[in-house]
Amino acid sequence: MIEVVVMIIAILGCILAILQRDLLKVAILTGINGACVAFLFQFLLAPDVALTQAIVGTAIVPVFLAMAIYKTQRMDDK
Amino acid sequence: MTDILLILGDTQLMSLFTAAAFIVVGLFAAIFLDNIIKKIIGIAFIEEGANLFIVALGYKAGGVVPIFLPGMSADWFAANSAYPLPQALVLTSIVIGASTLAVMLAISMVLYKKYGTLSASEILGDKKTQTLAEKNAGDNNE
Repeated sequence: MIEVVVMIIAILGCILAILQRDLLKVAILTGINGACVAFLFQFLLAPDVALTQAIVGTAIVPVFLAMAIYKTQRMDDK
Repeated sequence: MTDILLILGDTQLMSLFTAAAFIVVGLFAAIFLDNIIKKIIGIAFIEEGANLFIVALGYKAGGVVPIFLPGMSADWFAANSAYPLPQALVLTSIVIGASTLAVMLAISMVLYKKYGTLSASEILGDKKTQTLAEKNAGDNNE
């Protein structure tokens, strides 16, 4: 049953990341989503994929996004 | 009620639903949102959903991790382990996804340096008005 909780947190992080105006919050919510997907890979009997996803989805992708936001603009002006 | 509990207990089916939700949210962000960085994040979500879909196809309920340990017989391992080929391919796909994300973010930084905005409609609208003005000028000259 814990898989369902992790899946719901992953989908919520996905949807909330789309709805934010502050792009730095978008980067952090993308990291939460990547961490939940890493747990999900572990539950799906793929520990090697879970290790790679934990490093890439939790650390590298949010840092890349934060660097791009630092070089451009932080607020999404609609 | 028991049907709902059966569906919730089926890890493979719920993972396929989660992958479908990722792909739907990513397509919405990539098509309908205006900010370029949010479009890029939508494409990253689509990649994540595809990876999750492929790994969920190789899942076996009640199986073991595909690592051959001493004490297992080969027949028992072949019958009970998860399918390892999609996992090996998805491992490559995750790293390629991170590098394509880096390239897309670099292109968005160049676009911001040139146009001063991250809005896709403003960048495209600027181009359209320029080309229309040039066309009108050419017509007047003729």
